[in-house]
Amino acid sequence: MFYNNEKIYMPIPQQFGRGDKMGRGPYEKTGMIRDNSLPPQRTVKEQFAIPVFTEATKDGKLVRTILANEFTVDVEVWYLPYGTKDDPGNAQKWFAATKELHIEKGGK
Amino acid sequence: MRLRTQAIFLLGLAVPLALPSVQAAQEKKAKTVAELAAMYDSSSCKECHPEVYDQWHKSLHARSIFGPAEVGRTAATIKTTIENGLKEWSHSGVKSPEDVGIKHLMICAKCHLPQLQEAEESVAKEIVKNVYAFADNGDEKAKEALQSLNIGCTVCHGRNAVVHKWTDGYPKPDTVYGSKDGKHDDPDHPVMQQSKIMKESILCGQCHGLGPNLELDNPTQCATLYGTHLFAYVPEGGNKTCQQCHMHESKLGHNIQSYRDPAMVKMALDVHVVAQALQWRDGTTMTPMANVTVELTNKAGHAIPDG
Repeated sequence: MFYNNEKIYMPIPQQFGRGDKMGRGPYEKTGMIRDNSLPPQRTVKEQFAIPVFTEATKDGKLVRTILANEFTVDVEVWYLPYGTKDDPGNAQKWFAATKELHIEKGGK
Repeated sequence: MRLRTQAIFLLGLAVPLALPSVQAAQEKKAKTVAELAAMYDSSSCKECHPEVYDQWHKSLHARSIFGPAEVGRTAATIKTTIENGLKEWSHSGVKSPEDVGIKHLMICAKCHLPQLQEAEESVAKEIVKNVYAFADNGDEKAKEALQSLNIGCTVCHGRNAVVHKWTDGYPKPDTVYGSKDGKHDDPDHPVMQQSKIMKESILCGQCHGLGPNLELDNPTQCATLYGTHLFAYVPEGGNKTCQQCHMHESKLGHNIQSYRDPAMVKMALDVHVVAQALQWRDGTTMTPMANVTVELTNKAGHAIPDG
């Protein structure tokens, strides 16, 4: 794996309705600092620019070398109600897709 | 609680028609978990409504104080609420789990067990004891006791079936509220009455919340779905009710599910992925890269996730 990134969508509840701290658990959460959840009836678009190279300087010149001409991109959407993905009975995988990609060899 | 009881009693004196149901509910306070479970037992409904009962039994409503089967996440969160919340708050009056009473548990039970208001302090003590026994030692009897308490038939079709009590009257203990008026073949609930809100989102909104529960001495915030339904979904032109998606279109009926159910997930979210590899050029330097665009469309009647 040469790239891994994730984006979290969720409301950010305020701790005891004051300040800039997020509250933990229903007993602390009161109010909201920011809402990064997926809003109803709307489309949220995320762009990922994945570098497929290593970088080095050769003879004072920047050279980028292709990591792989064939590679796959896996996209997954998980619903994580609490804790971590590994907690038993917790995370739910909602979506998964794999895209096979190809970078041409040769040319100039 | 005493002040609240007096207030309701005085209201009963002023409006005699409302007195019998309110008074009956006040007089019949459960002293044990078993008594409270019996007061709201759904098993007698199964005889005539087996399909609905079986659907409900698969839902989280059937284990609202315990949580998802085996995991018991709700029970664990009640323990966390006591340990990290009630015990730490200097004005809560709780120094140890034994100090937890009805008013403390209601910060969770408002939605997870609203009928706890019809129980004595001994029931709160018993619930807390079982929560710790399950969370600390996996005690099976404690688990069974917690699983006997739920959002059963007579919560939604009884005590919570009327929101506007001055307009529609207080819910009557002998009445089951549904889609029509008539007789009901159950000695405990011989009357059937049409609920004005059984098909409306507000029925669910009583628990699947607006946001902070500001009526509590120390407000909690668990669910915000009804808030996002009202203030985000409806303004976008959405016009479906909770029941339309979670019960009818999903074909789940009373097995009301959310993020754990594949049918609900399919109804809630569209994901579209476009991926393209390319070599970007900056002068003589080539940059091999991949551009991936992910579009997430929330089709639900509320924000995702809740929180």
